[in-house]
Amino acid sequence: MTDIIQILILGLALGGVIALMGSGLALVFGVMRIVNLAHPSLIIAGAYIAYWGAKLTGIDPIVMLPVAAAIMAGIGVLMYRLVFEREARNAKYSEMTVLLTFALAMIVEGVLGGLFTNTQRVTSPGYATDAFFLGDLFIPKGQLYAGLISLVIIGALSLFLKYSRLGYAIRATTQNREAAELLGVNVNLISVLAFAIGIGLAGAAGSLVSFVFSFFPAKHWEWIAMLMSVVVLGGMGSILGTVVAALLLSVIAAFVGTWVGATWSTMTFFLALFVILLIRPQGLFGEKPEMA
Amino acid sequence: MSELLQVTNITAGYGDGPAILDGAHLTVEPGKVHCIIGPNGAGKSTLLKAICGMLTIRKGDVVFKGKRLNGLRPDQILRAGICFVPQERALFPKMTVRENLRMGGFVLDDQRELERRIGEILERFPILKERADQQAGTMSGGQQQTLAMARTLIIKPDIVMLDEPSLGLAPKVVQEMFDIMKMMSAEGVTVLLVEQNALIGLKNSDWGVVLDLGRTLFEGPASTVLSDPRIQELYLGGKKAA
Amino acid sequence: MSVSLQQSSASAVLEARRAHNDKLARKADQARAVWFPLTLLALLSLLPLLQLSGNYNYVLHIVLFTASYVAMASSWNILGGFTGYVSLGHAVFFAIGGYFSGMILARFGISTIVTAPVAGLVAAIAGYLIGRITLNVRGPSFIISSIALLMIARILFDNWAFIGGANGVTLPVNSLSAQWAKVPYYYAMLAIAAVTVWVSYRIKHSKFGLGLRAISKDEVKAESAGIDTRFYKVLAFALSAFFVGMTGAVWGEYLTYLRPNIFLIILVSANLVLMCILGGKGTIAGPVIGAILIVALNELFVATMGASELNILGTGLVMALGLIFFPLGLVGTLARRGKLPRVLNWD
Ligand SMILES: Nc1ncnc2c1ncn2[C@@H]1O[C@H](COP(=O)(O)OP(=O)(O)O)[C@@H](O)[C@H]1O
Ligand SMILES: [Mg+2]
Repeated sequence: MTDIIQILILGLALGGVIALMGSGLALVFGVMRIVNLAHPSLIIAGAYIAYWGAKLTGIDPIVMLPVAAAIMAGIGVLMYRLVFEREARNAKYSEMTVLLTFALAMIVEGVLGGLFTNTQRVTSPGYATDAFFLGDLFIPKGQLYAGLISLVIIGALSLFLKYSRLGYAIRATTQNREAAELLGVNVNLISVLAFAIGIGLAGAAGSLVSFVFSFFPAKHWEWIAMLMSVVVLGGMGSILGTVVAALLLSVIAAFVGTWVGATWSTMTFFLALFVILLIRPQGLFGEKPEMA
Repeated sequence: MSELLQVTNITAGYGDGPAILDGAHLTVEPGKVHCIIGPNGAGKSTLLKAICGMLTIRKGDVVFKGKRLNGLRPDQILRAGICFVPQERALFPKMTVRENLRMGGFVLDDQRELERRIGEILERFPILKERADQQAGTMSGGQQQTLAMARTLIIKPDIVMLDEPSLGLAPKVVQEMFDIMKMMSAEGVTVLLVEQNALIGLKNSDWGVVLDLGRTLFEGPASTVLSDPRIQELYLGGKKAA
Repeated sequence: MSVSLQQSSASAVLEARRAHNDKLARKADQARAVWFPLTLLALLSLLPLLQLSGNYNYVLHIVLFTASYVAMASSWNILGGFTGYVSLGHAVFFAIGGYFSGMILARFGISTIVTAPVAGLVAAIAGYLIGRITLNVRGPSFIISSIALLMIARILFDNWAFIGGANGVTLPVNSLSAQWAKVPYYYAMLAIAAVTVWVSYRIKHSKFGLGLRAISKDEVKAESAGIDTRFYKVLAFALSAFFVGMTGAVWGEYLTYLRPNIFLIILVSANLVLMCILGGKGTIAGPVIGAILIVALNELFVATMGASELNILGTGLVMALGLIFFPLGLVGTLARRGKLPRVLNWD
């Protein structure tokens, strides 16, 4: 019994982080209809910001979180202006846009590889190797903090979307871009904003990831399918759904990892994706067949 | 001549594609209901989109209250007083009725005033008040269209343009939509309507406009359009049906 | 108000449209230069004679390497170019082919050149089964499913002790002298490439190919026009896996080892997509031109900069620029502008 609770706790803590990793992806998809395959690579970029902050100045990665988020948000704006602005104008989905994000993922990976080599990295603040003990249970502080901070950030994001004027505009653009534009929403500005927030969330997630997982530039390929399964299971674009799906899959993965073997735990996410494909023939994003 | 909106011989199209509209003109007089008819693909929707700033006007003029609207963005035209409800899905399906109304007043800066006007609208449309906290996407077609029209009233526009509001609605519900339109017009809101069913559209309007192949073929009092034999034959199925 | 009901001259419009179509048909018929690839093939098959007068192993290697990518990109094009289903998981079939024939070579000493068609068949069957699941969805869903497929395969291959796990398997080296050691693989790869290009040409001009292109334009309409879209797609997927599998088989023995981090990496898949996009998706010459361009560019990158991190950066950059500025690719863009040189018109 203790075993099960133990695994549950570890799964939930990681699930919180994974939810944050996926939330930016969900937001960008919701507003822009862009499946951003470069998102995980940008999380890794955020992790490197935290890593170098810690290494050069000794700043705690959690303290670096706002910095990483801000820098990545700036990069998001740049990416939007350089690449996606023109894509946003043709409302029609094209696989070219997805491939473009794929190319961006390679560019980010290449740049990170060139700057920081392919060595595995991890930040190691004191709490990363510390734990709380509750009777027989042990709760690693690093994962606990990362999970809780993730959920707080997601909570703040949800409140912002639900109650602020900009949040209204973002939600409206997500649901009906044309109608939002006709009601006076500057949809282009909203797209930039959503992109900035989405990529900023990648930066925030990156600084938490930096002490939860070890990372290297090419690691993001493992994450893209993992995050996609979470975002898709969560109902594409829904932040709350993403959180629930992340917690659920992460807990399952934790059980698989303990009972079957550590290498198989990531498989949970990939298989989940295939199961969803099987039971949702209309596609992960409800794409209509004539979309080419 | 006391026209509110004057569209003269405009040319417009999508992106850098071919000109869909070429030689479309239109006169809108204050307080009346205007109905644009014409076959599928004639460019009716395109005309409304051109007026509200979603398409670039390549030639010709759109003049509203003496001011040229050419080149303005949709939000600027909205602020000027022209509100457009596009064909189908003009709502935010996962927002509640109240949130949809709030979006209708997105350009208003005074939030207190906005809430007051939302209250007013809800009083006037009991069906919406009943469902104020229901998601818009879960309502019936007629209720959704009612919401779409009511939403335009939040900013108290001069002109409301409606693209096929009757699409997919049962005949009885269609008449309700026209009743709402008449009520709007009685309050001084000018209505510019696109209607597939020319007969019903013209019967409920003051002014008729016939559009085909991107050009305005005829413009005049709705009764004149209705009784013109050629128009009856071409667009009202007059002789064929008889 | 004036009433000016000019009868739109519908007959005049129809007439103009017919004339336009005729003109297009004449243009397409303007003798395509089939002689060009055939001549190229003949010349390349004489190339190993160079070995009589010295050591041109590098030249042979480059041609062989290019041919392998010509085969794989043309093969990918059958699915991605004709039907519009973009797969980023084709490295899986490369690995399946490579490992299938490679393991037979390691166990029984039969050259992979002999077993390559069987390896292709195994890859095609895998493609068929996978396609049955993943081809139910299109667009971004399909792309993501293909990445997930690659990740799953990587975990399986990395952890399967029988095939050497992450360390892979070393294959026996053939007994030819260094001078001639590459030549069998050279011919094998050249043959596979030629056959693949020829098959994709035949497909494009068949009823099957017409169906595939209808699917890429509008799947619902294609279906209502009586095309068994599901069968067509799955068949295209299996075919496109077949030649990639064959290529993998020969490549394994040429390389003399099998290892997941060589065969099962996203860069292999990415290269196929890149070559087709750069050359021109859905055209016959496109993947060939794309493969030549990318291999040349690659050699340039490696020669001037060496590091492999820059390789992925370069690939990404070229892909992004290509997508933004030449979404139709070299052949597609030139054809659209009516400036396609005849030697590149193989369609
Ligand atoms: N978004 C678009 N992009 C390009 N062409 C369009 C678009 N929407 C409509 N068209 C074309 O414009 C023409 C007129 O369409 P539309 O204005 O919708 O006609 P109507 O509303 O009178 O039925 C049609 O030929 C249609 O194909
Ligand atoms: Mg229309």
